[in-house]
Amino acid sequence: MSISYTTVQWNRQKRRYDRIMLAIMGGYLLTFAAAQFIFYPNLTPETTIIRATGTLAYFMLQVILCIGPLSRLDSRFMPLLYNRRHLGVTMFLVALVHGLFNIVQFHALGNTDPLLSLFISNTNYGSVMLFPFQVLGFFALLILFLMAATSHDFWLKNLGPRTWKSLHMMVYVAYALLVFHVMLGVIELEQSPFWIGLTGVGVMTVVGLHVTAAALEQKRLMSQRAFDLVQEGYFDIGPIEAIAENRAKIVFLEGENIAIFKYENKISAVSNICRHQHGPLGEGAIVDGCITCPWHGYQYYPHNGQSPPPFTEKLETYDVKIADGNVWVHPKPYPEGTERPAALVA
Amino acid sequence: MKNEFYIGWQDKAPKAYAKKMRAVVISLFLLVILIALGLVLTQKPVAESTFEPTQLRTLDGILVKTPIPCLKMPTGINTAGEQEYQRVLLIGFGKHGAIPTIEAIEKDQNQSLDGKGVQLEGKLIYYDGKLAMELSNGLAAFKGISNLKGQASIQKLLGEMSLKGEILDPKCYLGVMRPGEGKPHRSCAIRCIEGGIPPLFRVAGKQGQQYFFALDSNGTPINDKVAKFVADEIQLCGAVEQWDDWYVVKVDLEQGFTRLQPYWAKDTEVPMCVSR
Repeated sequence: MSISYTTVQWNRQKRRYDRIMLAIMGGYLLTFAAAQFIFYPNLTPETTIIRATGTLAYFMLQVILCIGPLSRLDSRFMPLLYNRRHLGVTMFLVALVHGLFNIVQFHALGNTDPLLSLFISNTNYGSVMLFPFQVLGFFALLILFLMAATSHDFWLKNLGPRTWKSLHMMVYVAYALLVFHVMLGVIELEQSPFWIGLTGVGVMTVVGLHVTAAALEQKRLMSQRAFDLVQEGYFDIGPIEAIAENRAKIVFLEGENIAIFKYENKISAVSNICRHQHGPLGEGAIVDGCITCPWHGYQYYPHNGQSPPPFTEKLETYDVKIADGNVWVHPKPYPEGTERPAALVA
Repeated sequence: MKNEFYIGWQDKAPKAYAKKMRAVVISLFLLVILIALGLVLTQKPVAESTFEPTQLRTLDGILVKTPIPCLKMPTGINTAGEQEYQRVLLIGFGKHGAIPTIEAIEKDQNQSLDGKGVQLEGKLIYYDGKLAMELSNGLAAFKGISNLKGQASIQKLLGEMSLKGEILDPKCYLGVMRPGEGKPHRSCAIRCIEGGIPPLFRVAGKQGQQYFFALDSNGTPINDKVAKFVADEIQLCGAVEQWDDWYVVKVDLEQGFTRLQPYWAKDTEVPMCVSR
């Protein structure tokens, strides 16, 4: 959390994250380059750079795409999510090196502008097998650039979480473009079972994890919607014991996504949507008296939905009560930051 | 794990998270090493072609300007008493043919050099017995008139043939790029050919490869007609001639180019020239 914008708000875990990321990337690039030099010494250095950076960026993108569903399936993957934006920006830079070397290698020093050449050299746009695959890579790189350029919280704040999130969901368009970029490009040249198999495993892993996480999420959503007992606008969401101490239960009531927290023998309800990146606050915990988002650690007081000063983020709050050992919640939201009395657990 | 909660801005991750991350980091490290090795070791072999990017050499030969700019270097007399030449394909800097450079030199020297003995300096590109030279330094490539006198070349018609193969740009294929063929290289080859580098038709098979410069039936360049077939497996028909140590196919453009299914069986016999 921050009250002003800084380029990177460094902390110990971000530093470790980046060091490990760079070490793994370095391990890949060194192994790739050394193996090329030993086993294929006649391959030009430019080709080695193009292949090493292209495969690395593609692998990194798939890791990035897997982090979301993995974190949904097992919260112990959360540390991967925390600094995912550095992973994303770094992946873009690696992809940019790949793209620039390609433009220079294949399109520069010719009789036309290199960028124009990218579009007019191979014009088999009507054929699948002969399709100019480099164009697909160009548009994927363009999307990745937009995402990297707007990854900072400055853009999140100014575009608004919804627009920002929509923009960043375009990563799936970029991934689809890159799958075809790979399939119609290097796979058509190499035809090696290893290259084809690896591409297939990558796609299946990304899709499989997303489908599994979505199925689990759907199941969870169904259980969070089944509340029929209503009294004076309050919904019975179940026994107090069903909510762990310093944790929450998430419910969907009349279009409202609500997180109901139990802490210090009290029950409070706030919007489940973090103001930062729309993280699921109900999957977070009460830490130091504050609701803490599981994604990036943004914090809010449970009784009024306000971030502790000097921070300014605020959540909608809801009325709660306890009757017959059960927690009841009213789905009508109060304006962001409105203090509501917590229900006391006897 | 129970009641443990991870917050990124805290100094330390809870034990269960840290343990999981250690396993993830070690797995990822091993995985990238394996992937890197797997990708490299399963690549297609790369041609043992050569480009000498830092070495300038001067060659002495007879300049042939059109239709395929080259320097004919005498190599001896064959058993039939004919003068034999090695033709060194001349290519311009970057993705350009040699003609603009040769014409600039001619203008600078105020004389036509076509058919004359000249000394040219450039960077050599060679593979599979074929030699090319990049005139890298513009006017400075011309080192003077030589004493060589033009004599008749070996130039004979071998017959009408149909050929299956791939159109390449000889500059990249003979050594500037490795690999300089196939689909990833298609755009580059198109740029080179549209830039004036003579298109080279390669017929490949088990017994080796044969190379044919492609011209039209009148013997004029067809760079603008082959661009969309570059790097595909195609079939063409035409009169095949031998010009010293190169073959030339004068393509019958009325029959045009037939694009074959990609990856036609490479294990079959060499699809050598077949008389129609």
